[in-house]
Amino acid sequence: MTDPLQHLTPDEVEQWATGLLGATRAIHLAQCADCLAAAERERKFFRELAQLARLAPSADFADKVMAKVRIPTPSGGLEKR
Amino acid sequence: MISPSAALPRAARTTSEEGDGVIGAKDRPANLTGASDQDLVEWAKQGHEPAFRELVRRYERPVFSLLYRMVRDRALAEDLAQETFVKVLNGLASYRAEFKFSSWIFKIANNAAIDHLRKRDLDTLSIDGSPHATTPDEIAATALQLDGRGEDPLQEVEARELGSAIERAIGRLRPEYRACILLRHVEGHSYEEIARILDLPLGTVKTYIHRARNELRVHLQDRRE
Repeated sequence: MTDPLQHLTPDEVEQWATGLLGATRAIHLAQCADCLAAAERERKFFRELAQLARLAPSADFADKVMAKVRIPTPSGGLEKR
Repeated sequence: MISPSAALPRAARTTSEEGDGVIGAKDRPANLTGASDQDLVEWAKQGHEPAFRELVRRYERPVFSLLYRMVRDRALAEDLAQETFVKVLNGLASYRAEFKFSSWIFKIANNAAIDHLRKRDLDTLSIDGSPHATTPDEIAATALQLDGRGEDPLQEVEARELGSAIERAIGRLRPEYRACILLRHVEGHSYEEIARILDLPLGTVKTYIHRARNELRVHLQDRRE
């Protein structure tokens, strides 16, 4: 069992930032200003990364893909579009 | 996440689950946006074109974003994304349902990016220049020019899209680290899924992500100072 006074490991900081840290370790975090500051920095960093935009390909991307896809036919063959 | 059963009307669930496991045409909901990936794959295998299109719609942005951030060239990323989708959609017969569809498509996309970077030896090239460059002249010689005059419209788009400090910092990571950090923090995959996608041991994935975060912090710190 982890010593309740032991500082959070990087894995535990990530667990906290993603809402998965166990209650015992969360108690340490609530009582340790250093760990809390480090964890909040990490959470901000993770949020910045998670907020990176989903970039879009060109508008006709799906049509270009579908032009090269072979659709199976009911007879079991493949139909090139 | 919507479970395969929950995505279908009750009547369809009964038919599908009590039958031979194949979902027939009459069971398909008119709107496919709520269907699971697994159901879409099954319908696509039966020749239902809208199911193919829904898979493209669902994954075109995540796959393109990963590839664009990996190769940092919009036109090339689009070519690689197209190649990925064609390979995946024409290979649905070989898809194993125990593997998440998202993991499968990201695996093929990442392989396409890594193959390309190896062939073209672009792995050390970023908009900030090669990380191996040691002098200002070397850095300038290896940097992609994404700002300033003389840009074509595509370069302007790229500068806007990948020009933020964090995007530039990601661009400085080596490709393996870049893939790990994007799959973990942008796409939200678990460490185990990333290990499957990249064909790497779990411990290696953890190490790469840890190192990538440290490098990102250093790069971002450089910009603040």
